[in-house]
Amino acid sequence: MSSEQLPLPVPSAPDEPPLRLPDRVAPMQATLVDAPFDDAGYFFEPWWPGIRAFALAERGRLRLQADGLADADATFPEIGELLGQLGEDGVALDGTLLVLDDDGRPDSGLLRARLDGNLDAGRPAYVASDLLWAGGEPVTRRSFRVRRRWLEALLTAGDRAVAGHGYVGDGTLVAEALATIGVDALSARQLSSRYRAGPAGAAWLRAPIIPAEPRPRPTLALILRLPLD
Amino acid sequence: MARSMWRGAIQFGLVTIPVKLYLATESGGIGFNMLHKKDLSRIQMKIYCPEDDEVIPRSETVRGYEWSKGKYVVVTEEDLEAVPLKTVRSIEIEAFVDEEEAEEKGARFVKQAYYLEPDEIGRKAFYLLKSVLEESGKVAICKIVLKDREQLAALNPFSKTILLQTLHWPDEIRSLEELNLPEDEIEIKDSERKMAEQLVASMGGDFDPEQEHDEYREALMQVIEAKVAGQKPEPAKKTEPTKIGDLMAALEASVAAARESRRGGAAEKEAKPAGAKTARAKRTTTRKAKASEEEAPAARRRKTA
Repeated sequence: MSSEQLPLPVPSAPDEPPLRLPDRVAPMQATLVDAPFDDAGYFFEPWWPGIRAFALAERGRLRLQADGLADADATFPEIGELLGQLGEDGVALDGTLLVLDDDGRPDSGLLRARLDGNLDAGRPAYVASDLLWAGGEPVTRRSFRVRRRWLEALLTAGDRAVAGHGYVGDGTLVAEALATIGVDALSARQLSSRYRAGPAGAAWLRAPIIPAEPRPRPTLALILRLPLD
Repeated sequence: MARSMWRGAIQFGLVTIPVKLYLATESGGIGFNMLHKKDLSRIQMKIYCPEDDEVIPRSETVRGYEWSKGKYVVVTEEDLEAVPLKTVRSIEIEAFVDEEEAEEKGARFVKQAYYLEPDEIGRKAFYLLKSVLEESGKVAICKIVLKDREQLAALNPFSKTILLQTLHWPDEIRSLEELNLPEDEIEIKDSERKMAEQLVASMGGDFDPEQEHDEYREALMQVIEAKVAGQKPEPAKKTEPTKIGDLMAALEASVAAARESRRGGAAEKEAKPAGAKTARAKRTTTRKAKASEEEAPAARRRKTA
């Protein structure tokens, strides 16, 4: 009967392409520099205090791959909402997982509570900073300038996930601003550079921000920031 | 201040400085009373003698020392007073040592801190001792009998007085040997060290104890106060869910403010808020990339299901 003619009785298109995203993404590692700087060839954004995480979306399923975290999807189930904000399938984002407090600020205590398995702790959020795959194709050979534009185009801002805001050129200005809101490091990505696994060289820099006046207490999370290799 | 808990004299060489001791710290915990669950009445701890099967008053108790199994000798208050030890009513200074050396050799393991208050006749000698300790950077290691035990202690100048900190005897300080502490085996890369140093530098500041407080105690007090008021304590408040967009807005505001404050000076070049577009992308549904270098990869043109 028909079962012999249709050995794979799957209702979806028979020519559905195989999954293409890699199981795991090899991270690019930022180079530490001593201080913020100005350079029109760089895109500056906060080094958000949270956990570095890749979000991989394929066939309507989202996977999180986070530093030193075995099952990030179970720890941050809410981030699954991100799928609805993506304009395409086969997408890999590089970004940061945060846990926000009631005032919308990243909170290290709540993040720790989350990591300890308390799923009621705070409100998780994801800030995307880079785009590695789009439409099932790697885009890592494109310049950051291009990847960034595509990222903004394909990730609609939502309540839990956004493409992080950043500024071209004025690193020291952004650093001054970040000092006032308690962020302690600046991320600088070279607009002309590719994404490469391993040490980033000049492609991605991390500069510390030392507040002019010591703040009464650290306002933003400082956690899991040391490389765990 | 509260009443002194000890009275005696600092002794060294031929010098005697009469002083009183006051507890320097108190425990900040919240005190609970033990109640009978059924009627919430205070329960009492009674001293019970199983031999006579009766409850006895405290006044009928004595101190006993078990010198052999089941055999006791009674030690009275008078016996304790008569212990032939110099330190019974004195703080006997054994040596003056460098602060660092004292720290290294166990002065960090403090049991309790006490303030000293000199009696009138000892004031001059007391402050002389204090100023010499301050100038030489030394700590006086001494012995004192407190609560029926001879204690090792350190004298340290503090504010307008001298602090007496009782220390643990060397044999009371536990060895680290049973712990797994492979410090020598850990390799730290330069980049890791640099990252850690930056982190430390970014949190550098003065230690302001006024800023520190027991948040657990405060949270617990809130729970208790709410119960007193007859309400159910609110679970850790969950109000309006916060949005990541608020954080982005805070970032934009801070950058705008920083730019404004810079504008006080000469002409400025503008920083383009490249990421600011994402907030608007929501409303303009799909914003197509334009320039040729921004052309989407082939797969992007395919309709997504």
